[in-house]
Amino acid sequence: MSALLQFLIAGLKNGAIYSLVALGFTIVYAATGAINFAQGEFFMLGGMLGVLLVNLGLPLPIALLLAVVGTAAIGALFEVLAIRPIADGDPLRIIMVTIGGSVLLRQIALHIFGPDEVPLPPFTQGTSIKVLGAAIELQTVWIWVLTAIAMVGLFLLYRRTAFGRAMRATAINREAARLVGIDTRFMVTASFALAAGLGAVAGLAVAPLTQTAFDVGAGIGVKGFSAAILGGLGNPVAAVGGGLILGMMESLTAGYINPLYKDAVALVVLLAVLFVRPQGLFGGSGREKV
Amino acid sequence: MARLGTARWCVTVLLLLVLSIALVGCSSASSSSTGSGSSGSSGSPIKVGAILSLTGPYAALGASEKNALELEVKRINDAGGLGGSQIEVIIEDDATDEAKAVAAATKLIEQDKVVAILGATGTGQSMAVRTVINRAGVPQISMAGGNAITGTFDPLVFQTPWPNSIIVPFVLKKMATDGHTKIAVLSDSSGYGKDGLAIITADAPKNGMTIVANEVFKPGDTDYSAQLTKVKNSGADAILLWTAGKEGAAIVKQAESLGLKLPMYGGSGQAKIEFPKGAGTAAEGFVFGTGKSLVPANWGAGTDEFKVVDDFATRYQAAYGAAPDIFAGHAFDALNIFADSVKRSGGDTSAAKLRDAIEQTSGLVGFGGKFTFSSSDHNGLAEKDLSLYKIVNGTWVPIQ
Repeated sequence: MSALLQFLIAGLKNGAIYSLVALGFTIVYAATGAINFAQGEFFMLGGMLGVLLVNLGLPLPIALLLAVVGTAAIGALFEVLAIRPIADGDPLRIIMVTIGGSVLLRQIALHIFGPDEVPLPPFTQGTSIKVLGAAIELQTVWIWVLTAIAMVGLFLLYRRTAFGRAMRATAINREAARLVGIDTRFMVTASFALAAGLGAVAGLAVAPLTQTAFDVGAGIGVKGFSAAILGGLGNPVAAVGGGLILGMMESLTAGYINPLYKDAVALVVLLAVLFVRPQGLFGGSGREKV
Repeated sequence: MARLGTARWCVTVLLLLVLSIALVGCSSASSSSTGSGSSGSSGSPIKVGAILSLTGPYAALGASEKNALELEVKRINDAGGLGGSQIEVIIEDDATDEAKAVAAATKLIEQDKVVAILGATGTGQSMAVRTVINRAGVPQISMAGGNAITGTFDPLVFQTPWPNSIIVPFVLKKMATDGHTKIAVLSDSSGYGKDGLAIITADAPKNGMTIVANEVFKPGDTDYSAQLTKVKNSGADAILLWTAGKEGAAIVKQAESLGLKLPMYGGSGQAKIEFPKGAGTAAEGFVFGTGKSLVPANWGAGTDEFKVVDDFATRYQAAYGAAPDIFAGHAFDALNIFADSVKRSGGDTSAAKLRDAIEQTSGLVGFGGKFTFSSSDHNGLAEKDLSLYKIVNGTWVPIQ
């Protein structure tokens, strides 16, 4: 019983991280119709910048905040330099550019930060919370809170603010949005900044548990993308749902079948779901984005 | 704007993503060369290849090895080289990947025409290059601690670390002495972990211990809840961790936060400063077995071993501002065994002559101990070269 509970907690922890990365995919997909393959690198950059700033002697909260803002700025810069020149082009071309961008970001990180894994202190010091024989790390609680805030925040942003409505308008029809006076180029840049910032939040939230390194982006990119398409691309709630289900499947496979098969089982389930429901578990008709 | 939303498209993108990871991995493989300064050399330099894991789970190991190789190459070349020829070490990064290690070995042998291969860093990578080594007939001096490297004997392959076959029984004996009878084993699914696990399962019963949980994790995993929960529920009274990757620190940390308060033991994989640094307080009290040279004073002042190890440690400290870990020591040994052999072969670096000269290495004092190879033993180290350590206040201290 306590074992099952521990597996579920682990599944929800990893799932929440996948969700945060999946949200980044969702945001960029909504604005451009393309998959941003560099999303995993923003996850890596967040963690590495956080460690760098902490090592420079900044207090943890300020270092975390600056790391998120810094990564968002890098995301915006990446869009302006690499995506904007082809912004009206084919989503496949954008995808190719982001693949190249991810390689570039990783190599730059290798040269700046070195190849070693580096630790980040936990957000809150203290012992784990005990629930019915299972333990919840305080950092896991942080991960859940941050994921919930990100999901609700994005939902409100899209539904309740002029900025969010402008983003949705850009997603639905860029030409029409431009005609009514929306700066669609800025909206695409903003979507990259937002996605990068969320990736950084995820990278920072995980770093105290696992340490981080320049090469953590690729693996988490696959997980986040899988979560996004499992839930249904283009919808924040679906992305979070997909992430949690993916994390849970992995954890239960590791717990009851074999830890070495968890990635394979998750991938098989993902392909099976896509075969039956191409729009993802929670995806709509595919007309309405975000 | 065209939007594609079919399953086929998603699958294509997914495959692309997986492919891109493979590509990115490849692109991170890089090579650098050290030595072969033009100063005072007569004739062409002697080229040696080194396959190191400079990135990936073994990055910390590879970085130390690279430091040691560069330090020693410079020392040898500044002293006039080997019989008038300078040494040039060409370093390739295998990114802790077996396929890339094979590619690196092929490149070093075919393109760079190296006379010997030092490495690889990892057991899996060292074993993977064996076919290439055999095809070319070039000798290999591995810096990995898997038992298979010299246990599965190959006339061309030599090994500088203390292999699992001597460290595992050494650590198990300590666990038995400490009164443990039911142990949990956590090992990684890479070459080194598998190699160690085979010896652990064979040797634990001989020490009166039962393995009540046998859990495996994959290099690169970041969550070990499933394994640790099973260990927790197994009734084990101690944990034996067998891995050389960076995952060790995260596992110890997660064990602490899951409330798993069992004594923990390990091997050479924990003899790097990144382990206590990454695990923080969770690593306190962790006991591991590895070579005496981790703390040179273990040999006793005045011994030949102490002089060699202390001299290396002093020069390493001066060059890099940190004491060498055992992995730096394994690279130091690999290069010095090579250099000693070239001297004894009279500068003849043809593959067969060089191999024979390496096999005739006798009484060479190195970091691992005194190296004496024979036609059936290409490692030559024994339990007397080992010592136990405990993590105290973020660093290791020798214990009995």
